[in-house]
Amino acid sequence: MQRWTSQALPLPPRSSWQRADLEFEGVEHDGASFVLHVFVNNDSADEATPRIAASGYAGYLTVFAHGDCWGDVGHCDITEPVSAFDRRPPHPLVPFNATLEVSEALDALPEGTQQVTVTTLAFNKNGDSAGVLRFSQLTLITYA
Amino acid sequence: MSVTVRPAANAAPARLNIRQNINALSPAQLADLRRAFKQAMGLNDKRGFEYFAGWHGVPLGWCQHHDALFLPWHRAYLYWLELALQAQVAGVTLPWWDWTTTGAIPSAYTVAQAEGEDNVLAGAAIKVFGAAPKAGWPAHTSRAPGHDIEQVPGPPYQKEWAYAMQASNYTDFSQRIWTVHDTVHVWLGGTIAQVDWAAYDPLFFAHHANIDRAWRIWQSAHPGANPPANVLGQSLQTDPAMTVRATLDVRQLGYEYAGAQSSVAGST
Repeated sequence: MQRWTSQALPLPPRSSWQRADLEFEGVEHDGASFVLHVFVNNDSADEATPRIAASGYAGYLTVFAHGDCWGDVGHCDITEPVSAFDRRPPHPLVPFNATLEVSEALDALPEGTQQVTVTTLAFNKNGDSAGVLRFSQLTLITYA
Repeated sequence: MSVTVRPAANAAPARLNIRQNINALSPAQLADLRRAFKQAMGLNDKRGFEYFAGWHGVPLGWCQHHDALFLPWHRAYLYWLELALQAQVAGVTLPWWDWTTTGAIPSAYTVAQAEGEDNVLAGAAIKVFGAAPKAGWPAHTSRAPGHDIEQVPGPPYQKEWAYAMQASNYTDFSQRIWTVHDTVHVWLGGTIAQVDWAAYDPLFFAHHANIDRAWRIWQSAHPGANPPANVLGQSLQTDPAMTVRATLDVRQLGYEYAGAQSSVAGST
């Protein structure tokens, strides 16, 4: 299991939003498939932590990933269009954004909570403790 | 159930093929489905199952995931495979596995024997079309539901389905349904949890028929809510190619999903 905790993200006043999403930006999916369990304001969450609102549990995301590369050298290197006239579809391994709605989890936090940390527990088939969840940025988005 | 549609302006109406829940197939329909897969698996050319299985991962890797092309590409994929199966047994359609109502893989895809022989829907040898096997390639499909990663929540996925159906635009719907799609694959484990090998398992197509059905149902509730305009003209990598725009209307692709419909004879 790979465990990761974010820096604190500012949480706007509850009266200012109707819905809140966590956006994991630039998720890489060239390795083994994995599942991600997400907690808010529970930096000590681990595998034994109950997945309930009282524990800060926000939900899960699963990533059906590419797995080993069976092509020749360079097959799984992400390529960009070679020109403005390149109509080929994007490379299958282009990182993507994964969104998890966390409105209910944030609602369960104590009234007046002004910031949120996010802890992720990522599991793959191999039991790896690193390199399971790789992404570029985490954003908390609220919608009025 | 019988539905007709005009394939083109001024064309004669043509009868649509109706995809059904796997559990609703009659014994004869299920036998036809198995026969179509078996015969397609026996063809070592571009009519054969292995050729189509190879579109998704090894060796061709044409599939699209985690982007706006996910739903259109897989709709096109099922369309072409279904035609190939119909070339073997007329009238067969790809059934769906409704993982919102059951916590188990349908028995049609798990029983070892059917009609006195190996059940081709339970698994298949992986013989990569046009490529010599490499060390490490699996020789046969496999599944390990709930075991590869025990932390993956198992079916039924009613809540996830309902959440996807609440989406008000294509981008949100696509992302929500691909999330539960990913969960089903990873929960299943084995080769169907790996992009490279997933489509060699006939169960893949029942799973994806349910994803495609979800899109069809959502489309009905959100007419005109199409993929972003900048991808509508995108050519999807299939053989032959198909644009995203061409995938938008299942009735123009000649199929529909079973619902409730009854007919009586007309007057003469």
